[in-house]
Amino acid sequence: MKLFARLTLLATGVLLLAHYLPSGYWLVADKEKRLPFVFYSCISNEFLLNRFVNGEIERTDPQGRHFEREEFENLLPLDNYMQLYKDRRMPKEINGLAVTPEKLRRDRINLRIKPALLDSPAVALYPLIESDSGRVRLEMPGDLLRLTGTPVFIDVKSNTVNAAKSAKFTAAFQAAQFAFPVKLVGGNPNILKPYDEGYYLTDSRNAIYQLRQVRGEPELKKLAGLVPPDQRAQLDTLKPRYLHVQEQDNHEVRLVIVEEGGQVDLIIGPDYRLVTLPLQKYDPAAMNLTVRGDMLNRLVTVNDDNHLEAIALDRDYKLLNRYTESQPSRAERPAGRVAAVLFPFTLDFESDDSGFVGFDLAAGAGTAALLNLGWLLLAAAWLWWRKQAPIRRLPELAAVAVGGIFGVILILLVPTVE
Amino acid sequence: MFKATFYKEWIKLRLYWTLLLAANASFAGYLCLRLRAVHEFNSAIAIWDAWIFKGYLFFNSYHYAPVVTGLLLGALQFLPEIFSKRVRLVLHLPLGEERVIAHHLLAGLLLLTLILAPVTAAFAVTSNIYFPAEFQRNLWLTLSPWLLAGYAGYLLAAALLLETTWRFRVFYLLLGWASLRLFFLGDFYDTYARVLPVFALWTLALFSLPLLSSYRFRKGL
Repeated sequence: MKLFARLTLLATGVLLLAHYLPSGYWLVADKEKRLPFVFYSCISNEFLLNRFVNGEIERTDPQGRHFEREEFENLLPLDNYMQLYKDRRMPKEINGLAVTPEKLRRDRINLRIKPALLDSPAVALYPLIESDSGRVRLEMPGDLLRLTGTPVFIDVKSNTVNAAKSAKFTAAFQAAQFAFPVKLVGGNPNILKPYDEGYYLTDSRNAIYQLRQVRGEPELKKLAGLVPPDQRAQLDTLKPRYLHVQEQDNHEVRLVIVEEGGQVDLIIGPDYRLVTLPLQKYDPAAMNLTVRGDMLNRLVTVNDDNHLEAIALDRDYKLLNRYTESQPSRAERPAGRVAAVLFPFTLDFESDDSGFVGFDLAAGAGTAALLNLGWLLLAAAWLWWRKQAPIRRLPELAAVAVGGIFGVILILLVPTVE
Repeated sequence: MFKATFYKEWIKLRLYWTLLLAANASFAGYLCLRLRAVHEFNSAIAIWDAWIFKGYLFFNSYHYAPVVTGLLLGALQFLPEIFSKRVRLVLHLPLGEERVIAHHLLAGLLLLTLILAPVTAAFAVTSNIYFPAEFQRNLWLTLSPWLLAGYAGYLLAAALLLETTWRFRVFYLLLGWASLRLFFLGDFYDTYARVLPVFALWTLALFSLPLLSSYRFRKGL
């Protein structure tokens, strides 16, 4: 039991030090450099970049030409229209199109998908908002929909199943030939939105359906029956991983489909047109995706800490321009290379990319193993000098061999039995 | 023999245990009654909405109570033994030092369970009235790391107090702080779903630490 206790202390100590020491190291060793925030100018038809450098905002174009704030705002009238109207700098028309504040506001699109959205705890109960209640504002329903099997509505006030409504919706699912179980559910359970798109669901065959409640009645439509006929074959090939619904004032983007391989598709407009975004590299588990739009263009960006890609599209989602920028990752920078030698491994419990606590173990560089060997010889020599037989401190020496500097610290701290 | 040890520990701790039970039960009772009151004044959908989409659980403010209870119980059980060196007598019982300390720890863990179990049951029963079956999973997955922190806190307190030297007591203090704070990461439900078995096994392994401390105590190390 004594040996087990010492091993427990050493293992715990090594893992805790592998978490706390690198955290402390990074607090002082390196300054994170952020990638720029990207805009697309409808005036100059080129990308513009807004980045923080030494606490100051730097406004440039991709060629490095600097702009003053007013100059920058003039090039982005659709993003800064409120300031331009205030300063009477707003043009009356852009690219031959008349602009009004109301039209500008209504045509804005802003969607964001963070990696944590794809990997966070969630309760599989959904408020199915009445899409056509006749009221000006959307209202939360008095029941929640459970979709773990056939649809079941739970009345929240009495905490009981609404059998009649459940049966009505089950019949609608069966009539639409929905193959249970439900695999994915995408919706926006929020009443502070301009209208209700309902939920998009995938069945066990990956077929996508749109579910709405219209005047108390179920409306379940297979997406294959809604998209233009020439796109049905393409729709059948999709392998959705995540469905994102975020209703916008202009009713344009109905659904964002993130596929297993990182391809992103949009379902657009009244004819449910399928559009595949021409992104070069998108890892949904680690990168942010934003879709922004105005009355003239669409701008899609994907980024993580080290890589950014922005594509500008016209209103018909045809590619206009592309901008990419990369910077060395933290591990590739000098401080990262030192850390990889100093720490044989690091352990993190939380990540911006997930809502779950996990064990994120990252190995150091190969040279860290050599350094461990050096630490081991040093530790053995120190024990010998202290007239302690290294053979009797094998657990501690094993901790040094595995944990390097973490094990060295523990030799001084862990209680002995002699 | 365990019954005798438990009886001895019960005589020593019964007043403090009753106070700890009363404090925990009152806190839990207050949270359950507050949920009832919230239901009186808010629509049920608003409460369910806060639970499902904002991660608000009515027992959230209880999160540090188990670890505080565990630490206090460990301190109340072992401080008197250390101050008057009474633990020396215990270690000379014919049971063997490991077994007798293990009996003391089991007695303490049982008393801790008898405080935490009613509280957990109160949360489970109350939530069953106001929430659907899905809530029970959230309840267990969210409450479990806090309960484990209670047991880990108790065992670390015992290991620290039975330790003889200040150098290693400081080590246990640092180890305890660094490890116990890992039971309180995230403020949403189910965040520990993927790591709970490992945290539970680690807590179980902590049972060996007070045994190491008592060995060092007896040997005068």
